[in-house]
Amino acid sequence: MDTNQYIPYQVRIADIIDEAPLVRTYKLEFTDPSANFTFKAGQFAEYGVFGEGESTFCIASSPTREGYIECTFRSSGRVTKALSNCEINDIIGLRGPFGKPFPIEEWYGKDIVFITGGIGLPPLRCVIWNVLDQREKFGKVSIYYGARTVADLVYKEELENWKNRPDVDLFLTVDPGGETKDWKDNVGFVPTIIEQNLPSSKNAIAIVAGPPILIKMSMPILAKCGFANDKIFTTLENRMKCGVGKCGHCTVGKTYVCKDGPVFTYEEVLQMPQEY
Amino acid sequence: MKELQIKAAELLENGTVNLLIGFCEDLGKRLVPCFIETAAEANILVFNQECKNNLSVYLHKKEVKDAVKIGLVANVATLRSVLQLLSENQLWSLTLTYLTVNGAGELVVLRSAEELEAYVQANFPTCRPEDQEMLDKLNAMSREERWAFWKDQLSECVKCYACRAVCPMCYCTVCTTECNQPQWIKTSAQTSGNFEYHTMRAMHLAGRCINCGECGRICPAGIPVHLLTAQMNQEMEQEFGGKTGWSLKGGYAMNTFKPGDKENFIK
Amino acid sequence: MELKLISSSDIAVFVDGLLKAGKVVVAPVLKQSGKVFFKPVQSFAEVATDYIQTAFSAKEVVFPKVEELFTYQHNEEGGLDIKDHLDRIPETVVWGLRPCDAAGFDYLNKFFLQENPDAYFKARYDKTTLVTMSCNKCDASCFCTSVDSHPGDTKGSDILLTAMDDKFYVEVMTEKGNILINSNSALFTSTDTLSKEAFLAKPLTHFSMDEIKDKIQNAYASVEWKQASMGCFSCGACAFACPTCTCFDIQDEGTQDHGKRVRCWDACGLSQFTKHSSGHNPRNTQTERRRQRLMHKFKYSVENLGVVSCVGCGRCIRVCPSHLNIFENIQSVTK
Repeated sequence: MDTNQYIPYQVRIADIIDEAPLVRTYKLEFTDPSANFTFKAGQFAEYGVFGEGESTFCIASSPTREGYIECTFRSSGRVTKALSNCEINDIIGLRGPFGKPFPIEEWYGKDIVFITGGIGLPPLRCVIWNVLDQREKFGKVSIYYGARTVADLVYKEELENWKNRPDVDLFLTVDPGGETKDWKDNVGFVPTIIEQNLPSSKNAIAIVAGPPILIKMSMPILAKCGFANDKIFTTLENRMKCGVGKCGHCTVGKTYVCKDGPVFTYEEVLQMPQEY
Repeated sequence: MKELQIKAAELLENGTVNLLIGFCEDLGKRLVPCFIETAAEANILVFNQECKNNLSVYLHKKEVKDAVKIGLVANVATLRSVLQLLSENQLWSLTLTYLTVNGAGELVVLRSAEELEAYVQANFPTCRPEDQEMLDKLNAMSREERWAFWKDQLSECVKCYACRAVCPMCYCTVCTTECNQPQWIKTSAQTSGNFEYHTMRAMHLAGRCINCGECGRICPAGIPVHLLTAQMNQEMEQEFGGKTGWSLKGGYAMNTFKPGDKENFIK
Repeated sequence: MELKLISSSDIAVFVDGLLKAGKVVVAPVLKQSGKVFFKPVQSFAEVATDYIQTAFSAKEVVFPKVEELFTYQHNEEGGLDIKDHLDRIPETVVWGLRPCDAAGFDYLNKFFLQENPDAYFKARYDKTTLVTMSCNKCDASCFCTSVDSHPGDTKGSDILLTAMDDKFYVEVMTEKGNILINSNSALFTSTDTLSKEAFLAKPLTHFSMDEIKDKIQNAYASVEWKQASMGCFSCGACAFACPTCTCFDIQDEGTQDHGKRVRCWDACGLSQFTKHSSGHNPRNTQTERRRQRLMHKFKYSVENLGVVSCVGCGRCIRVCPSHLNIFENIQSVTK
């Protein structure tokens, strides 16, 4: 069937969670019961405020949890500001799912190492949920996550939840100077915390996402631990508009981040021109 | 132009100039901008009446500014642009040397802002006859006829922004059209948005445009957009006096207050 | 392919017949500025014939400069009525394309339809018949023979006409072309021999894509890009005139209650094209942007779709205020 990929679904904002300054999570439900929206972890969508435009974020929930999806975004431009002004029961537009997902089925039986910081956690949360919802299929699960300050940490309740799980190793940190008086976890940049708690690369997959500086500093540490470049996954962000590989905004060399990604192995990223 | 080539080579050789912007002939026998850095390349330089591009637009380009000592082969309209830019304090990081050819066909080398000002004032260009003819025709039309004329013309605009790109006075690092909070001007090339863009541009250039006519000449859609700014300029001269690109001191009417300014528009 | 002939005097009859039958005919028209543009015509008398190339391509017919994606309107149930208007596209004939332009449509077809088919392009392309005119003259900006085409190329055309002294060869390439011919088949006679070489222009060949496909592999790091882009000041003229440039922006125009979402032409040469809302711009200099344009046309399109996405029409060279020369640049970065 020829579907028109520019026509959005209509989704209702079912819940709003203020995660951090300027950062919100929206829980979205489809208004059309026949929508039958399915997706895989790592895919993204175009979220639109009619009259303002669309903005691109990953789908931050997991396909293992049905009936709704979640997105987490920071208010920074025209569309995200308009989105931030929405209220519960408002209708927004959603196009998707777009992009290549994480190949989670190929990771069964392996240890999974998540490395991220700040607003980089939402794209990985869909994978974390997906893994934790099928926990018995995977080996060790380690999460290295930090933010500039305690207030900037997103998904604070879930972090508590992960910290208390015996089958998850959570290394939580804030940048030096970002701790509060009652902060009990690590203080230091994420790469420093990884150095202090080196993950084993044996039968392991690493997934790194977040600020470019974090990715840049984490890669040598992973290499030192023996992670081959094709065992490290990341999700690239670039300016996107159409989501389907036509408008040209997201290209890096011959690659369209929207349709050939946004999930890439580090080996694939190294082969691209460094224009992202 | 042997004399020009020799002089250009000399300036590059002795380090007066690190980068020379001039004209050369392309495969299609068109006269196009060229950028040379060594004396050996100077033999490609050409300069005559057919050299219409206003090369002063390149003085805003980072790759050009990095060279600091710039030589510019210029017709008098281009020199007038440079004078206007100097009066707007846009070229402070550059050391400029100008090469031009006067009415008698002689090579003239201008080495300072003062020499530039003197030359421009002595050779000040007037409105081109074909442009004045068109302006007179438009001004003789009724408002409805003029509106219909521009509506027809501006419906062809594709919003390529070539007019803005070639204009030496359009040097804002973030143009009004690039602001989306709020979206002052629609990005799509629909007639109403095209009107918004071109009238906004004419307003921003009022009292600054030096009438090189490049914007209209190069418009891929063949729209004579230079007439809009030419008309604005004539009105500015009538209302406020002064001429654009005349003096190093400038005194751009839209941001200069004089006690004698008429305030009869305040009612 | 079916080969026919039509007399020169019957060409006007044929085109006027198409108009009478209610088809939209888009053809080259000479405007007051002296430039020729593709415009809908009301009679053959309006069609320009003595020119080398139009200022803009004919891609607007299938990829308009502003295209409404849908309208939206708040309804009483609290949601929105969202409607596209793809059913309103008329039967269109593009008359008097050049073979390079038809090759451009061939590329557009591959780009928009091969993967993630674009519903809007498809709706328009399906209703469009392309009638191409071979070139009997060219200028120094033409370089189709360097990019896998030539002045009598049938690639992408539904019908290719080649003018001889008092008649035209008519090469009917597709079913769409056949249907058009049959709208007035009495005007055409069949023939067996095609001998059009003598009537075709002879543009200079500067390189072959076979050599470029190899050499361009290392061109990204060439030091020549800076000189190749010095004259560029970051407008969109080349991209908008180009028959194969397809980049676009999506904008909402209206309020939160009602309005429309449109897509409009965009250009990778414009400075904000890749800028993130954080302010980070992956292609921050004009050198990087011009390199992207040329690498996309001569390398990335070849890798992704198997065809070079430059057709050698020369429009970019002609409309560029500095006449930046794409084939000279390709030669210098692949030296």
